[in-house]
Amino acid sequence: MNEDNINSFQRSSLWHDAFRRLRRRKFAMVCFWIVAGYFALAVFVYIAESIDPTMSAINWKEQLGQGMEYQRPSLCSVKTIFGTNFLGQSTLISTLYGVKTALAVAFAASVISIMIGVPLGAAAGYFGGVVDDIVVWIYSTLSNIPWIILVMAFAVVLNDDKIMGGKLSGEPGVYLAIGLTSWVGICRLIRGEIIKRKESEYVLAAKAVGCSNSRIIFRHLLPNVFHIIIINFSLRFVSFIHMEVIISFLGLGDANKPSWGKMISAASSELTRGIWWEMTAATMAIFVLSLALNIFGDALRDCLDPKLRMER
Amino acid sequence: MNENIPLLSIRNLSTHFFVEEGVVKAVEDVSFDVAEGKTLAVVGESGCGKSVTALSVMGLVPESAGRVVDGQILFRGDDLLKKTESQMRRIRGNEIAMIFQEPMTSLNPVFTIGNQIVEAVKLHQGIKGEHAWSHAVEMLRKVGIADPARRVREYPHQMSGGMRQRVMIAMALCCWPSLLIADEPTTALDVTIQAQILELLRELQKQQNMSVMMITHDLGVAAENADDVAVVYASNIVETASVAAIFEEPLHPYTQGLLRSMPRLGQKMERLESIGGSVPNPLHFPQGCKFHPRCPIGVSDQRCRTQQPQLREVAPGRCAACFHAKGYGD
Ligand SMILES: Nc1ncnc2c1ncn2[C@@H]1O[C@H](COP(=O)(O)OP(=O)(O)O)[C@@H](O)[C@H]1O
Ligand SMILES: [Mg+2]
Repeated sequence: MNEDNINSFQRSSLWHDAFRRLRRRKFAMVCFWIVAGYFALAVFVYIAESIDPTMSAINWKEQLGQGMEYQRPSLCSVKTIFGTNFLGQSTLISTLYGVKTALAVAFAASVISIMIGVPLGAAAGYFGGVVDDIVVWIYSTLSNIPWIILVMAFAVVLNDDKIMGGKLSGEPGVYLAIGLTSWVGICRLIRGEIIKRKESEYVLAAKAVGCSNSRIIFRHLLPNVFHIIIINFSLRFVSFIHMEVIISFLGLGDANKPSWGKMISAASSELTRGIWWEMTAATMAIFVLSLALNIFGDALRDCLDPKLRMER
Repeated sequence: MNENIPLLSIRNLSTHFFVEEGVVKAVEDVSFDVAEGKTLAVVGESGCGKSVTALSVMGLVPESAGRVVDGQILFRGDDLLKKTESQMRRIRGNEIAMIFQEPMTSLNPVFTIGNQIVEAVKLHQGIKGEHAWSHAVEMLRKVGIADPARRVREYPHQMSGGMRQRVMIAMALCCWPSLLIADEPTTALDVTIQAQILELLRELQKQQNMSVMMITHDLGVAAENADDVAVVYASNIVETASVAAIFEEPLHPYTQGLLRSMPRLGQKMERLESIGGSVPNPLHFPQGCKFHPRCPIGVSDQRCRTQQPQLREVAPGRCAACFHAKGYGD
């Protein structure tokens, strides 16, 4: 019947449909490839570093020229395209290494916040009652503390050698601090979606077949909100990158590895002396990645969100 | 199996919802039996408490507000209300299965229908992988879906309403339950599809020697499929009898009204035209017999307006709850 056709058209294999739409958006696809490029670079740096940390392509410690001094951007060699910092280390290599730092931290933080937020939100939404009260209380409390203070508090504690035995200082400290403080958004979102769906007929049908509560949550409900998790993940990723930059800007990150925040922090005092390249390289790297991620994330949301997919 | 013990025996079941405005007595003091291998039709207008009765048997009354407050649900002589949640899980989908009114929304949109059919087999019989899959194909063939080996990999949105209801039936029957509860299985379907689905249910019932509790608002459906009928009105059973007896001589004025207004098979019916008024709000049931405001006799009878008639045996094998029913006595 007619009604059937429309219905099947609307739902026609959510993912397949979404990707077809996405491919039609040229600009979003350009952004996708930019993001993919950043990821490829991060993976390359990660692998290269684990094979040989002194490999010339990623060796950000290497001093170019003679002695510790700035070099202006010059086209003589690839490594000095963006000049060097005051130690004579290549800005280009530091910036590229920063890609790995930023993406690794943002990715790990996303995984942590999803692992905390999704199960908690699902349990709160599904069971309601006391479970819901407790979860809502926790996240209301967390979300009422200004974010930056919370992250800094976590980062300071995790970086403190006396408290954590030094095991969590550096990169793990940064992504744990971000992940542990930023699961509230996804938790709230999933809670709402589960509340909306838990009374649906297919859940009742699953109960009638004898499914347990956990099976209904994980096998029947969560797959139905998977696209929401993906959308949230892609949009949240940008803010995680920004958080990483802020934390390392404040000197709470890994002191031994280059990161964009550290570069900006170091360059900010030199800007008045006309040394503009370090600041420019780091901010451009952040700017391009953020823009591409945001545009792609928005496009992905438009393509996946059934409410927005009304163009028949 | 003992011939004398009915497979399912509901005794004085009451299920209430506790909402802000008060207590919704959705099911009140309901008793009926479903015999081994037989079909019982539970007939009544919408809002009478039929679905809640079914959910009570399954142990699936929405916990947020509702609760079975009284009664017994004896399945093979065991009280289901005394079972723990994990014991009930082993019964649901295995010994008692249920199909729902809305085939369009009762299937999970993100899984293939094969996956959904084998869910029960995996849960209850521990069959996995290829075996479970071929069982799903077999079940699809059984419910009359052409090309089951291909269909089993499709998603619900690729099927029509009638086919989805067939899939729901396949899901419900794949563990060979001894009792099937069908809650208005054909209400949402076209007339021709309705007849096909009912035919299919009859056939499978015969094959598997299963009992069926068929919930419907359509006496026509009951006439074609059931052995016995229980008529519900406003949370109470008002009459029980064999199909033949009900059609030959309905005793309760409500049943008489239902019969008079019987729509031809398939016609959608929200309210009965020949019975004036509508089902009372379960928050404010009328005093006395709940049917008296709509009843040709009761509306002017002092006793009907003040006392509630109990369901009582009025002839061998049939009961009615009306002071004026033949054989009710004083
Ligand atoms: N979850 C619920 N909360 C409150 N009231 C409910 C709930 N479910 C059903 N009811 C009430 O119970 C009564 C019977 O409903 P139901 O069994 O669905 O009727 P039907 O005979 O049409 O299947 C209705 O008046 C309905 O308002
Ligand atoms: Mg109903």
